[in-house]
Amino acid sequence: MADRVVAIINQKGGVGKTTTSTNLTHALAKAGKKVTVIDLDPQGHLAVSFGVINPNRPGLDEIMLGDADITKMLVPVRENLQLIVAGPRLQQIEQLSDGGAKRGDLLRKALHENLNDQDFVFIDCPPSSGVLVANALFAADEILIPMTSDFLALQGLSHMMGTIKRFEKVLNKKYKLSLVMSRYVTTRRISKEVLSKMLKYFPNQVLFTVIRETALLAECPSFGKTILEYRPGSRSARDFRSLAKDFLEGKVM
Amino acid sequence: MAEKNEKDLIGFDPLAWMNDGDTESSAQNDNVDTAHTVDTEQVALAEQKEELDTVIVTEAAIESDLVEGGNSQLILDSTLNIQNVSHLYEQLLVLLEGQDKIEIDASSVVTVDTATLQLLIVLKQSAVKLGKEIIFDFPSDKFIESAELLGLAEMLEIDQAAAGFF
Repeated sequence: MADRVVAIINQKGGVGKTTTSTNLTHALAKAGKKVTVIDLDPQGHLAVSFGVINPNRPGLDEIMLGDADITKMLVPVRENLQLIVAGPRLQQIEQLSDGGAKRGDLLRKALHENLNDQDFVFIDCPPSSGVLVANALFAADEILIPMTSDFLALQGLSHMMGTIKRFEKVLNKKYKLSLVMSRYVTTRRISKEVLSKMLKYFPNQVLFTVIRETALLAECPSFGKTILEYRPGSRSARDFRSLAKDFLEGKVM
Repeated sequence: MAEKNEKDLIGFDPLAWMNDGDTESSAQNDNVDTAHTVDTEQVALAEQKEELDTVIVTEAAIESDLVEGGNSQLILDSTLNIQNVSHLYEQLLVLLEGQDKIEIDASSVVTVDTATLQLLIVLKQSAVKLGKEIIFDFPSDKFIESAELLGLAEMLEIDQAAAGFF
């Protein structure tokens, strides 16, 4: 298995999970790290963000539902960066009713003794709390939570933390937890208040760089480009390069 | 449950349960001392806030850098008035001389006076004459409001910039 398996997770939608997955992994790959990123969201937006737009292309669905070899499903998307697409049948995992607890173990088993040459495996999770997210929590040792600076995101984070603590208890493991402030609007007072809450409850766990809200980050997926390709000199690109450095060095607020 | 402070923008604190004294429910970091007193937490929080504010202010002050592709970016300060317009003028002159495209980040602007807006209009006109491009990125509501009040929003093309920011 890779050195570090990181689930990018938040049950709330629109907090920047896929944006973080796309741009952070690309920034790490450009920094020379070998990275595999897995699209665990049946919507398949991660693949689209990298310019892989065939909705019928099999991927994680065949790994988890069939017996496909994970190493055969790797799509090289950039130098040092490979992707496993969600695949058209991934949504079926949420409806699995047989197999009991084993359903949550599908991804961990697929990763076991594979991708050994990778520095990182990132899992871009769906905005839900079903079987797919359970698979991510089984497989990962680390959790990265993108957070927006609004009240409902705090409410969602509370729910998320409850889920994580239950998994820690059941699996008898402690996740390395990091948070990143995403879609941050510096001019809003509530942004700072939410950040203060984060620092209060998650000391030494909020990554130093905040990802500021920009229109560019909303634009680049439609071109199948990461922000580092779409506008490499923009402040958003700088934010993600800086975030990647923080992630590698463990630099926190 | 957290009590609401009238000045806070967050009333109910949904994460308050995490510090309820149950070690399993307390914050996740291994280094966290679960016996932390409220006082020390508040002091630490104040220090962290101060540090963050310093970082943001410092970043705003120094972030006038060249970017890839021969463009340049300038981040406007929160207060733009006659006292600092000459300094801004010097910065813009340097950028206009050396770059074909200047991106001006106006997201932090809280107050802007007519002197600064006039300067920006002159900059825009000069750039057009030189075949160069000036773009206002992420204009704050106050910046837009002030420009509209003086009928300069269209000339500065900040109405278009605002439409792309959500």
